[in-house]
Amino acid sequence: MKKDDSYYIRHALPALAVTVIVFLLPVASVLLKARNIGRTITDPYTWRLLGFTVLESGLSALLSVVIALPFCIFFSRYTFRLRKAMLTISDAAFALPAILAALGFVIYYGNNGILNNILKSLTNGKASLKVLYSFKAIILAHVYLNFPVAFSLITTALSNMPDTEEKASRLLGASEVRTFFRITLPKAMGSIISAFTLIFLFCFPSFLIVMSLGGNPRFFTMEAEIYKRTYTDVDPSSSASLAVFSFAVMALLLLATGYGREDKKAQRARHKLKPLAGNKKAVAIILCILIILFMAPPMLSILYRAFFNRDGDFTLKAWSGIINRANSGAGTSLDAIINSIAIATISATVATVMATRISMAAVRNRLNFLSLLSSLPMAVGSVSMGLGFAFLAARIPLYNKAVSFLLVLLAHIVVIMPFAIRTILPGARHIPVRLPLAAKTLGAKPNEIYRRIEYPMLRSYRRRAFAFAFALSLGEVNATLALGEGRITTIPVLIYKLINQYNYQGASALAVVLLTIAIVMFAIGEKEEKQ
Amino acid sequence: MSYLECNDLKRTHRHFTLDLSFAMDKGELLCIIGPSGSGKSTLLSLIAGIDDTERGSIILDGEDITRTSIQKRRIGMVFQDFSLFPTMNVEQNIQYGMKNKTPEEKQKKTEELLELVGLKDYAKRKVLELSGGEAQRIALARAIAAEPRILLLDEPLSALDAPLRKRLREELRNIHCRTGLTMIYVTHDREEAFAIADRIMILRSGHIQAIGRSEELYNNPQSLFVANFTGEGSTLKMPRNQNIDEDSIAFIRPEDIIILPKGTEETNADSISLDAEVSGSEYNGSFYTVTLQTEYGEIRATSARRPEDDQVMLSIPKGKIKYLK
Repeated sequence: MKKDDSYYIRHALPALAVTVIVFLLPVASVLLKARNIGRTITDPYTWRLLGFTVLESGLSALLSVVIALPFCIFFSRYTFRLRKAMLTISDAAFALPAILAALGFVIYYGNNGILNNILKSLTNGKASLKVLYSFKAIILAHVYLNFPVAFSLITTALSNMPDTEEKASRLLGASEVRTFFRITLPKAMGSIISAFTLIFLFCFPSFLIVMSLGGNPRFFTMEAEIYKRTYTDVDPSSSASLAVFSFAVMALLLLATGYGREDKKAQRARHKLKPLAGNKKAVAIILCILIILFMAPPMLSILYRAFFNRDGDFTLKAWSGIINRANSGAGTSLDAIINSIAIATISATVATVMATRISMAAVRNRLNFLSLLSSLPMAVGSVSMGLGFAFLAARIPLYNKAVSFLLVLLAHIVVIMPFAIRTILPGARHIPVRLPLAAKTLGAKPNEIYRRIEYPMLRSYRRRAFAFAFALSLGEVNATLALGEGRITTIPVLIYKLINQYNYQGASALAVVLLTIAIVMFAIGEKEEKQ
Repeated sequence: MSYLECNDLKRTHRHFTLDLSFAMDKGELLCIIGPSGSGKSTLLSLIAGIDDTERGSIILDGEDITRTSIQKRRIGMVFQDFSLFPTMNVEQNIQYGMKNKTPEEKQKKTEELLELVGLKDYAKRKVLELSGGEAQRIALARAIAAEPRILLLDEPLSALDAPLRKRLREELRNIHCRTGLTMIYVTHDREEAFAIADRIMILRSGHIQAIGRSEELYNNPQSLFVANFTGEGSTLKMPRNQNIDEDSIAFIRPEDIIILPKGTEETNADSISLDAEVSGSEYNGSFYTVTLQTEYGEIRATSARRPEDDQVMLSIPKGKIKYLK
């Protein structure tokens, strides 16, 4: 290839510079604050924390994958009316803010929650479940958030695999069961492992779920401990040291799991899904009901609590609270909504624009390390990232609301960038190399090729990236909270505070707002192209 | 002076090195054929400017374009996968490469080109709705619209099915005649090359094996490779009467062999006779391909009838036997 393609790298440079600086600034400020890394490494408590974090994320990932597997097998074999709907809902759950899961769990699984109320009324007050504020509550919430991820990823992978080997195996006389264990499962192992890895990496820096549903430092992950050391113990040096340790562990994990490396091969012919017949129909209905019974109640509970008080009486108190700007001291609900939408809009726009340029350069200039670089922010937990920005803020002499807002914005951009790039990169790869060549033989200049051919071809990918980034920014609470304890109040930060004040109704009303915006964004992202 | 001159071009790849020189005249249609990995596409890439030559020069119409950027070469290219721009309709695709034209002129030219490729009412169609054959016609129109000095076609028909391929290659030849465009056409299909080319270049491992008119290459191949590549034939270890070259092998086309009943008296002094045994015969519609065993090895011949007896006599005109290496 000719050097003419330097166009792409030149135009990606500003985006790359911004990404690197915005990522390095907080990391550097954490590094500068970390004065006793040696003590952190030798402290047995650090290793206990690490062990617990690994256990908690490993168990969450394992359960998510194992529970999802039977569903995946069925959904990748048969086609039926609810199939697509179920898969779409699972895709949507990718962007479901953890704060909604936390709130839904408190209201539904709480000791005086809706599930227990139902159980008590059914058994005259005898039976009740104690789920909340325990290790199992954390795991259950992680599975709740990640079951759809496993379900969606593995089902898609299984559905896209050609089934010629299975047919050959059956023709050679193997039973369906033997064929599954000898042929299908080994083939699916790659996607199962990659789903496990992804969920593990999602759960590893878990903070919000641990804080809201664990209720005990015994269940703290490293990110939770970092937050506690910063704001409860007010020991920034020790929290920074732990953050550095956590960063090193995460980086090693990313390298070891090869996440960020691309493994996508060209899609081959997928197999045909069979229509349902006989008792398989009943199986399909049962499976769908199981998914709905698991996924829907916490969200429906939020909806219910937004309009009904604890005694079951209808009230709009929480809603008038939002409109009348009367809420807790940390800023009003309306401010939070405006902040959230503004931050999500700006950060998602910036991330999409930068991700487009970086993805094109990665593909055209064959710079695979760019995609690796872009997933680097994943190596830093968002609490540590927020903390880094907080340390940075402390160094800025002129510290006011505008600076605060800007820092939150930057933190959000860093957190959502990897996901924006990951969404656009396949689109950039999808553009045949011959198209720009064809345009060049017709006399087009690089800028014209980009503007008239490549950029329009990325349209649906850019839209999906924007929607995804927007939803992630909207639900972002870790970095926002860690950055000066949420001086800039966003919807999820306010929900978190309201949960801590046991104001579930106020939290629910805001959560309904959050959920509505997230669903609208998801619908925009998934909109079919009119081609 | 020739219209296009490629002098001493060289491009090193992992599996072969392209190393060749050739020239062609204005308005000529040159076909490049060769097995996969012989350097056909590499050569087109060098001429188009997609790839750089390591040495030598490319002269087009008296201008040295060796270091000219792709955009400025004004060389059209039609790809195997059509490479139409999916975000534009047919008309926008065709007009993409038009330069220095008013909108009216562009419109008029588009209509002419659509007419030329036989897709008159397709201007507003979406590219993704076109069939393979239609898409390739539009790709051709788009390339011609940019008024290239030479048009390169890289296996343009290989993504299409056989009947369509046959029809399109005739159309392509017609378009070539009507526009007078200089064209280089790469294919791995010998029949296609024979059908449309003015001249054929045979490539192997980056080197030119032969270049010439199709009839010349078929009837008087300069090497065994060219003989085999231009058509069917049998190779026999048959000694030559005089001036024996130990290494050379006799090559005979199947249609040059006459199958006679055993014991027929050979009357023609310019032919040689061979005893043979029929070991198989395939029916091909209008003729049979008969496989025969002789003292010099296996031989294949075409015949209008299936031989009645297993033991036959072959008569081969001496002039049709080529001794090649």
